[in-house]
Amino acid sequence: MKNEKIKISTKNLNVFYGPKQALFDINLEVEEKKVTALIGPSGCGKSTYIRCLNRMNDVIDICKVEGSIKIDGQEINKKDVDVNLLREKVGMVFQKPNPFPKSIYDNIAYGPRIHGLADNKDDLDKIVESSLKKAALWEEVKDRLNQPGTGLSGGQQQRLCIARTISINPEVILMDEPCSALDPIATAKIEELIDELKKTYTIVIVTHSMSQAARVSQNTGFFHLGKILEFNLTEKIFKNPDNKLTQDYITGRFG
Amino acid sequence: MSEHIVSSYEEQLKKLHSTVLKMGALCESQFANSIIALVKKDEELVDKIIGKDDRIDELEKKIDEQVVNLITLRQPMAIDLRETVSAMRIASELERIGDLAKNIAKRVKNIKIELNNEDFSLIRSASELVQNNLKKTLDSYSKNDEKLALSVWNSDKEVDVVINKLLQDLLNHMKKDKKNIESLTHLLFIAKNIERIGDHSTNICEYVHYFIKGEDIKGDRPKA
Repeated sequence: MKNEKIKISTKNLNVFYGPKQALFDINLEVEEKKVTALIGPSGCGKSTYIRCLNRMNDVIDICKVEGSIKIDGQEINKKDVDVNLLREKVGMVFQKPNPFPKSIYDNIAYGPRIHGLADNKDDLDKIVESSLKKAALWEEVKDRLNQPGTGLSGGQQQRLCIARTISINPEVILMDEPCSALDPIATAKIEELIDELKKTYTIVIVTHSMSQAARVSQNTGFFHLGKILEFNLTEKIFKNPDNKLTQDYITGRFG
Repeated sequence: MSEHIVSSYEEQLKKLHSTVLKMGALCESQFANSIIALVKKDEELVDKIIGKDDRIDELEKKIDEQVVNLITLRQPMAIDLRETVSAMRIASELERIGDLAKNIAKRVKNIKIELNNEDFSLIRSASELVQNNLKKTLDSYSKNDEKLALSVWNSDKEVDVVINKLLQDLLNHMKKDKKNIESLTHLLFIAKNIERIGDHSTNICEYVHYFIKGEDIKGDRPKA
């Protein structure tokens, strides 16, 4: 673990929703080009945590985020950071697939267009094709790029959202329960995709599926009541965790 | 350790544990009986031992099935996974112990010399020592007591000492008593069987330790 490059470093992160504290002194290091899984019971703060990484909590008025979050050594949790640039670098995929009510093509082309990544139609075509290929969706949709994205199956929609995320060349991809609405085959396709994507991107995934965390990640963090109780190699967490609460949670003894 | 939220899962794990203990108890008695049969030349008991070996094989198959079911249907994690996997390995060690006990019993009718005397006290004390270790091994599994497992593991060197003495002793008998060389050869094999039962017992201790602590016993096994 020690020789790996740290992509995201969180120090003493505290998050409040109004008077209620949601995260307590989170110290966490996310390695570059690895998959980091965050697990823990509902309400433990794992989603709150990843929403800090691209400043999604900014849109919640009562939410206050204190502490340091550095990506490539640069502080992102301060006022003068351009959140649009940040979100270009740190993309996000949500629990429920949420394609734009536009064509498959435009779902992908939207980001590159507004970020000025393509000079002409050819460039844009190439980005759309390569993004869909990277998201392992190209073969399934290449003949119907002008049809609405919402007409795809749930699993395809989720891969479309991943393609949309990678179309603007992010460095980090945050995934909040990306497979919870998908069947096992669609889930397997996303997991296969995650394996492939980690060669290029740093991935942080929140999941309620223990076995999914075990399958896709190299490091796993266990959140409980707003604290991170254990952060370890995934193998270690699922074979022989250090913390008793981690063990109780992953073996189904919690409560 | 608190119980699982899903009680049928808890029951499945407990059932596996109790099947392993049942198999362990049967192997323990097979071994003890094989030594009684040997010392008393009790051929009726020999037949009983040989007849019971099938039951050991059945229990091993049952444990394998329970383990595969648990992995398939429950996907155990952490200590549950370690216990499940260890159960399968302990069962295969027990099966070997059962075979060795049966092998001791099968040799009984070929032994034409009196063993219930001072000259052959070592074979009795060696088997008592190993029986005692096997009992403690099974206790450590039954009570999830990794310290007990570790202490049995460490005491295997005493078994080695006694077995080495016994082997030397049997060789001395062979030199003096050439007409009984066939019986004594069988006794040599029996001594090796007793030693190997001790080895399987310490292997089980390693699995008990692994499943409770999540790590192997450190270092090489102490050898005499």
